[in-house]
Amino acid sequence: MSSADDKVSIRKLPTGVPGLDEILGGGLPEYSFNIIAGAPGGGKTTLAHQVLFANATVERPGLYFTVLGEPAIKMLRYQQQFGFFDAAKLGTAVRFVNLSQIALENDLGTVLAEVVKEVEAVGPSFVVVDSFRTVVRKAAGGAGEADLQAFIQRLALHLTSWQATTFLIGEYTEAEVRDNPVFTVADGLLWLNQQVERNSIVRKLQVMKLRGQASVPGLHTFRITSDGVQTFPRTFGLTGRKNKPPVRRRLSCGVPELDAMMGGGVPEGDSLLVAGPSGAGKSVFATQFIAEGLRNGEPGIVAIFEERPEEYAGRAASLGMDFATPQRDGLLTIIYLRPLDLSVDETMREIIDAVERTGATRVVIDSLAGFEMALAPSFRTDFRESLYRMIGALTRTGVTIVSTVEVTESFTELSLSPYSISFLSDDIIRLRYVEIDGQLRKVLMVIKMRGGDHSKDIREYDVTSEGLRIGPRLGGYRGLITGVPAPLAPTPDEDAR
Amino acid sequence: MSTASPGNPGLARRLVALEAARADPAGGPGGAVARVCDEFRTPLAKLAGQAGFHSLLSRALALAKAANPALAPVQVRADGTLGGHDGVLAAHGTVESGADIVAHLLGLLETFIGVTLTMRLVYDIWPELSGVEKGRGSP
Repeated sequence: MSSADDKVSIRKLPTGVPGLDEILGGGLPEYSFNIIAGAPGGGKTTLAHQVLFANATVERPGLYFTVLGEPAIKMLRYQQQFGFFDAAKLGTAVRFVNLSQIALENDLGTVLAEVVKEVEAVGPSFVVVDSFRTVVRKAAGGAGEADLQAFIQRLALHLTSWQATTFLIGEYTEAEVRDNPVFTVADGLLWLNQQVERNSIVRKLQVMKLRGQASVPGLHTFRITSDGVQTFPRTFGLTGRKNKPPVRRRLSCGVPELDAMMGGGVPEGDSLLVAGPSGAGKSVFATQFIAEGLRNGEPGIVAIFEERPEEYAGRAASLGMDFATPQRDGLLTIIYLRPLDLSVDETMREIIDAVERTGATRVVIDSLAGFEMALAPSFRTDFRESLYRMIGALTRTGVTIVSTVEVTESFTELSLSPYSISFLSDDIIRLRYVEIDGQLRKVLMVIKMRGGDHSKDIREYDVTSEGLRIGPRLGGYRGLITGVPAPLAPTPDEDAR
Repeated sequence: MSTASPGNPGLARRLVALEAARADPAGGPGGAVARVCDEFRTPLAKLAGQAGFHSLLSRALALAKAANPALAPVQVRADGTLGGHDGVLAAHGTVESGADIVAHLLGLLETFIGVTLTMRLVYDIWPELSGVEKGRGSP
């Protein structure tokens, strides 16, 4: 029996595509024979170029065979718009070979011979055939399935024997996966697609097959920007990270009375949900939480969806909190996310990158309703599941999170969140309106503290120019949590007096 | 061009010496190198097909040629045998170069299937080596 040490070691090459190495389970297996498939406009060519430019060197060059579809001159025109493009590599580290004429005029055998000839002449470490489907469609002509399979197998064997890591690019439909021999021969199969829902487009990548290593299953969103392709693994870049430590300090939220109600503050590493109706002061509380951290030298991140950063900082200033200076000093990052086709994973990537970059310990998400609105419709459908992954992932980084959520006030029940996510939160504070003596007054209560005891009081509070001001326990009424309390009936002793 | 270090030059030389000793001396060292490569042909064709073996040997030869230009006339024939080696590998100083082809072939095998399986393949072809080459992936 072989031991683990006897196994052949397959080197994993970095793809140069943010997030993709994690999705692939560590990188691209060296000398693998891969397919990048999907519909036109899916980003296949861009992805291949990005991998090629990230890896190809003069000593380990890349050969890019173009066939019929998009000639090299057009690729060069468009691909150089991306940040990864390096003109200095052209002709040396990255070489283009046009196979169009040979594919048009000859059979598969001649095409293979030409590929072999070029590969043996250059000795490339990377080979791309774009589009392979065009090669097969034209050159196969009247060739049978067996001939086609033999061609693909010989191509794969030759490129692997010549120590090349290969990408065949093809415009395939998922229905073809079962019957097309190229998918059988391939070591790896990356599928790119773009889904249109209402007015949003969401790009997704799936590793449908990868021999020899455990890739992350499922559909991962990706975006094409001026830097090229960026993928957002469903694992949020958090595989293998530690859970929170058993002994944790308490963080002041900036409102001393509320700290006391929570048993000494927010347990470090917790996720605190602040739920309440519009205008109840949720954002004010979140702002105070961040400001208190900044006062203590703890970097913070605020992810906002409804206001612009300058408006958010301006509102903090009106509460006497200076957000401009810590922003300038790198202690505070305000992330404004409002494209309407955002994915949860993408948002998390932004936040996690900011946490890693700034060492933030406090994160505010203000608000979950705004976050949901910023998502593409397809992600809103499974928002609850996404929140579950998101909050779990964020708290595993060790940060303490305050999320605000708007609830529609009901006068018959005490709703905690429209998303049924209260079980995801370690701690919950509920703000609500109550009608007393012809006035709409505000009360708050600590509903849940997973880390220990908390006050059971229902306290009246006000939103002032200095933030939340907590008043005394609101006694003398029953039914406060319904929002329409009634005065307690006087006790017999009181009556007697 | 990509380069790769020969997998096991010592073993390659030993294989060439074994084949040289058991064959017609008229075949010379060049013939021994060709026979070593040919011994790999059948078992490797089972693993990779004739075309796959052809590709592997072509690659090994190309890597050896990169370091030893004197090997330029040597070719892999369509049937997967070495050709053009007569005279070239027999010439002074090129025996080592010929063994480099074998070393690179071993190196490629180690890269793709690992040392253990490569050595198992070698021992299947040359059982007399199984007690000698200890410590390199004994099965």
